[in-house]
Amino acid sequence: MRTFSRRTFLKAAAAATIAGAMPLAGDFTGFVRGAAEAPVTRTPSTCNGCSTNCAMFVYVKNGRLWKLEGNPIAMKNEGKLCARAYGVAADVYNPDRVQQPMKRVGDKFEPISWGQAFKEIGDKLTKIIDKHTGSSVLWLCHGGKEAYAQMLLDEIGSANYVTHYSTCFTSKTNAWDKMVGTQLTSDINRAKYMVFAGRNYAGGIMPGAMKKLMRAKERGAKIVVIDPRLCELAKIADEWIPIRPGTDLALYLGLAHTLISEKLYNESFVRQYVFGFDEFWQANRHFTAEKAAAICDIPAETIRRLAREMARNAPASFLEPGYHGLHNHYVNSTQIAQANVIVNALLGNFYQHGGLMPSASPKLGKLALPKRLQPEKGARADGAGVNNEYPTVETSRGIAQHMPDLIAAGKVKALFIYHFNPLRTAPDPEYQKRIINAELVVSIPVDWNETSVHAAHYILPEHYFLERMEAPKPISGNIAHDYPQVAMRFPALKPLHNTKDVLDILKGIAKAMNIDDLYPFTVEEDAAAQLKPLGITVDKLREVGCYEVPEAIKPGFPMKDGKPALNTVTGQVEFSVGIFKLHGRQGVPTWIPPLVSPKADNEFRLIHGKQPWHSHSVTSNNPHLLAITKSYNGTWMWINKGRAEKLGIKNGDIVTLEAKIEYKGERRTVQKSIPARVTEMLHPECVWIPSGYGNFSPRARFGYQQGVNYNDFAPARVEPLSGGCMVQEVIVTVRKGGN
Amino acid sequence: MAHYAMLIDASRCTGCAACRIACQMQWQLPPEVFFNRLEFREQGTYPNVRQDIVPVQCMHCDNPPCLKVCPTGATYKRADGMVLIDHGKCIGCKYCMVACPYDVRQMNERGVPEKCRFCAGHVETGGQPPCVATCMNDVRIFGDLDDPNSEISKELKRRDVFQLAAHKGTKPRVFYVKSKK
Ligand code: SF4
Ligand code: SF4
Repeated sequence: MRTFSRRTFLKAAAAATIAGAMPLAGDFTGFVRGAAEAPVTRTPSTCNGCSTNCAMFVYVKNGRLWKLEGNPIAMKNEGKLCARAYGVAADVYNPDRVQQPMKRVGDKFEPISWGQAFKEIGDKLTKIIDKHTGSSVLWLCHGGKEAYAQMLLDEIGSANYVTHYSTCFTSKTNAWDKMVGTQLTSDINRAKYMVFAGRNYAGGIMPGAMKKLMRAKERGAKIVVIDPRLCELAKIADEWIPIRPGTDLALYLGLAHTLISEKLYNESFVRQYVFGFDEFWQANRHFTAEKAAAICDIPAETIRRLAREMARNAPASFLEPGYHGLHNHYVNSTQIAQANVIVNALLGNFYQHGGLMPSASPKLGKLALPKRLQPEKGARADGAGVNNEYPTVETSRGIAQHMPDLIAAGKVKALFIYHFNPLRTAPDPEYQKRIINAELVVSIPVDWNETSVHAAHYILPEHYFLERMEAPKPISGNIAHDYPQVAMRFPALKPLHNTKDVLDILKGIAKAMNIDDLYPFTVEEDAAAQLKPLGITVDKLREVGCYEVPEAIKPGFPMKDGKPALNTVTGQVEFSVGIFKLHGRQGVPTWIPPLVSPKADNEFRLIHGKQPWHSHSVTSNNPHLLAITKSYNGTWMWINKGRAEKLGIKNGDIVTLEAKIEYKGERRTVQKSIPARVTEMLHPECVWIPSGYGNFSPRARFGYQQGVNYNDFAPARVEPLSGGCMVQEVIVTVRKGGN
Repeated sequence: MAHYAMLIDASRCTGCAACRIACQMQWQLPPEVFFNRLEFREQGTYPNVRQDIVPVQCMHCDNPPCLKVCPTGATYKRADGMVLIDHGKCIGCKYCMVACPYDVRQMNERGVPEKCRFCAGHVETGGQPPCVATCMNDVRIFGDLDDPNSEISKELKRRDVFQLAAHKGTKPRVFYVKSKK
């Protein structure tokens, strides 16, 4: 024990006086005490920590961010917020934000004025379009709120609006769109039996989903989690069933086989609302639970029990449609999504309370703008929806991970990258770095992310989300809720740096291109027009933050003139996808093995997932969230104990992961070292790493070189049907010792 | 006079650490200083394994060992049950850090061994501590034991509860729900 000395006392007292006198803006520490009497403002906003968009109130004291509170109305968070919300909010003061426009000069960046940046970008863009047409311009973004960018693309005749979704979940939305014509969501509030696979609401957090799941548990509903890892959701589930990663398709087909062969499925639902049942059954009648069991490492008896329990509780049961965990990350992800639709349809839970319900979305209005004479658009550069390229990929989402190929092929000359960091969140950063080879690369970020640092020619920093107003955001999707909701971001803080919001950035560029009056409105006017049909004003939303439309959606299959009226060719749920067949593929899902499988004693499938306090990239430079990482060894790679022992690996040992990237002329060996977390909570055939680490931007100093990232080990492939990036089709070797 | 207490149902916790950072924001703490932590433990062997997570923080003991060893009276107990620290009186001797059986005291940047404040100054007017309010799994319940209609009074009656290291005679005001498993 250290004894107290006079000296330390004096030092501490002196430090306290100084610190007390200087509440520093830009420093997260102590100003509360000094400012107890200070005026506090409370401004509604929505979180930017992930795409859940939790609605919240932002408390500002003395002009400085104080704290957050979840908005209790919003169905996706019901008054709750996860750790990431606080982290990204505090990041408004992160010194690693880009604080003014920047221009690349050699391998350095120099400050540039907004006027100069607009002029140079506008001139270059005009020249590129004159020479190569608007089709050579591409807008690459996270997705979800870029109506303004779309207007610029329309004006120059570019069809190239591309989102990050192909690195996340598009096999699901693609299959649902083609089989059902819409995305249905799980009605947790009324379900009796829920099976989750590839969706961890407690890791890839949606606070409102957890609230609903906890209530469901309290009323006796059952939760089953299928995951190679005992994930956070499995912790509170009634049952965790580990599965061999990459084989969920086999499980789903086994479930479908049990439902059909044991006549547990809803025959009248199938008769009335399903097209292609026979084709599916013909193709899968021999794919029994036993066959599935041998592939997916779940006993046949368990598969049959799951199917029976689901059927017993139907229609108040579901196989959750899943998210990033299964979708897009395997060669068979599209078929996984198809099989998911089929299992649910066999339960007859579509449009049923407790099963899958449509997600209520408000009908927003639109600003009336004068019609403009605009050029015809050419084919998409990314190949989505293009014959002989990726004809079945959704054009609303596109393909994000192969930009350097498009640039090398001369298809893309100018690239805007908005609120997206492909160098860290898309496969193979060494490959992604070649984005810099385009004639013009403009990054619109808030921080010095990898993409800005290594690939951008210009960096145009956006206001932080707490500093800007954004058009209304429907709160819908993923989980069912009876009433449509809308929320909005209002500026809670004055901009700290020389930044702009994206509408002003686009206005500046358009003006520099001599495009007049493309955006003859403000965000607030746009917001007012959007809210008008709901009968509320911007001021009303400013008061409540989140508004619920008092008109509930009702259960019941959509019908028209006595016939099923889904937005599909037949109006029914289509087990067989016509457009897949048209392009030489199978219409119904059948078992497709993963692309690669581990064989040797030191080989593992590399899988990843979200840790509860990090999103993939936006949170990864936050000192508070990284301190949580430090407390809980959050960067460590999980490895099954039995397998680790065979390799002589003990908990905390440094191990080296190695993978070969061999794809389209790429030939590289990647090696990375990381401590191992030796655990019983993981399937023996894989290793798991959390997705939020491995930053390599030296200007994002807190997260720099912390941990490793799954994208380092995967080539930038494209799954042909849905455009997925297949990053869990990777085998790594693991050995004890550092690199 | 209120009598504040907390009930924690650790079986509901999924280890997201929102409670930790929400509290840091409420009190404007730097990244390394936090008033609540999580204890993780896995039990069993694959695939028959389970995960336990226990949120731990200052127990606001009715018989606080930290208070007894404090040479200056900086650590004190309020009549409403809160164990608090008078920063002006603290000399940074760390006796309290050593005495606390729950290891919840943490040196702050000014040399004061800090800990959970039960949100003194915030809860008296009806506010909920942010660790309680932000938790999507409603792991914690906070309230006044003197009010028989408070949620915590009702839950304490209804649930089978225990206290951490009760055998040390600390009489914690933080209670835990006994797990069924
Ligand atoms: S889940 Fe967490 S990170 Fe995502 S929006 Fe909600 S609070 Fe933010
Ligand atoms: S916020 Fe709730 S679920 Fe998250 S770690 Fe804290 S107690 Fe556990």
